[in-house]
Amino acid sequence: MDGEDFDPTLLKKKKKKKTFDLDAALGLDDGSKKEETKEVANEDATAANEIDDNLDLESFGKKKKKKKKAINLDDLEGALPKVEGEETQGEEKTGESMDADEGADVDAPAADYTYDELLKRIFSIILDKNPEMAAGRKPKFVMRPPQVLRVGTKKTSFANFLDIARTLHRLPKHLLDFLLAELGTSGSLDGNQQLIIKGRFQPKQIENVLRRYIKEYVTCHTCRSPETILQKDTRIFFLQCESCGSRCSVASIKSGFQAVTGKRAAIRAKTT
Amino acid sequence: MSIQNLNTFDPFADAIKGADDDVQDGLVHIRIQQRNGRKTLTTVQGLSAEYDLKKIVRSCKKEFACNGTVIEHPEYGEVLQLQGDQRENICQWLTKVGLAKSDQLKVHGF
Repeated sequence: MDGEDFDPTLLKKKKKKKTFDLDAALGLDDGSKKEETKEVANEDATAANEIDDNLDLESFGKKKKKKKKAINLDDLEGALPKVEGEETQGEEKTGESMDADEGADVDAPAADYTYDELLKRIFSIILDKNPEMAAGRKPKFVMRPPQVLRVGTKKTSFANFLDIARTLHRLPKHLLDFLLAELGTSGSLDGNQQLIIKGRFQPKQIENVLRRYIKEYVTCHTCRSPETILQKDTRIFFLQCESCGSRCSVASIKSGFQAVTGKRAAIRAKTT
Repeated sequence: MSIQNLNTFDPFADAIKGADDDVQDGLVHIRIQQRNGRKTLTTVQGLSAEYDLKKIVRSCKKEFACNGTVIEHPEYGEVLQLQGDQRENICQWLTKVGLAKSDQLKVHGF
């Protein structure tokens, strides 16, 4: 069968690509390091890389038509930076063989496989061969979980707050404002650059708020890509997307009505 | 056959009609605040001034078996304040009674 022939070659190519991917990732690491602040850890760069891969994969997964799928595969391969001559040829071959395969499918309407089955199969093959892709494919953002610890009984510390602000490419102050407004408490950064929030909070709760922040202020509202810039223009924040170029205003952070929860006597003593 | 261009057309017709059937405009912010211990407070801000907040709070108190009050705020108008974490309850209740649609509700907090 054509398909059986096609499978092993595909696997080989995938393997090749995988090794090559790593190289590219390393190369990218260096580049991004130079571009961005020198403090940015290796992990950050690789995380960004993963995001790229994920996004590509997602657009790939969403396509419904076969032809487009083939094109997208090519795109994927094209997206890999600086592919050497030999390998590009090999990849093109896989693309061609795929095309040929599809052609056969179209010619023979009584094919055994439906499109869905084939799609599932190719995804399972991809996952089998690149297990590191499997974990990061579902969430759009690969983020480290927030480290939230209790300080005493009434305060909560958010240890990797600055790290998270940096991975989101947002000013820590903006994130801090949002967190405090959303949680309805007060807080500040302490000497070790960790956020101390008044009140008891579980990591899960902080994670929820962070998720909402990402949805509102990080991902593009049009294409959901996380590569965005937050700009302030005459008192209004605008979210500018790097990948699709859309620009839209986002809601300003307001804490709104705050009920009196402290001791009223203490407040009265302060004001008078 | 009538000439289309000469037909009178009121561009604000739908706007006027829209204002009639729901008084609520703008978002209703539902927030939670921590008090001492594991106690919490739920505030509902932004309900339309046309509603009788006192009546709302009376039925909410009965429905959720909690205490509550209406607070007059110079900037935010009348704000509902309920004891305990009533975010789920108040969302369901507001939509059920028809005071606000579910897309007008904005739940804050963790």
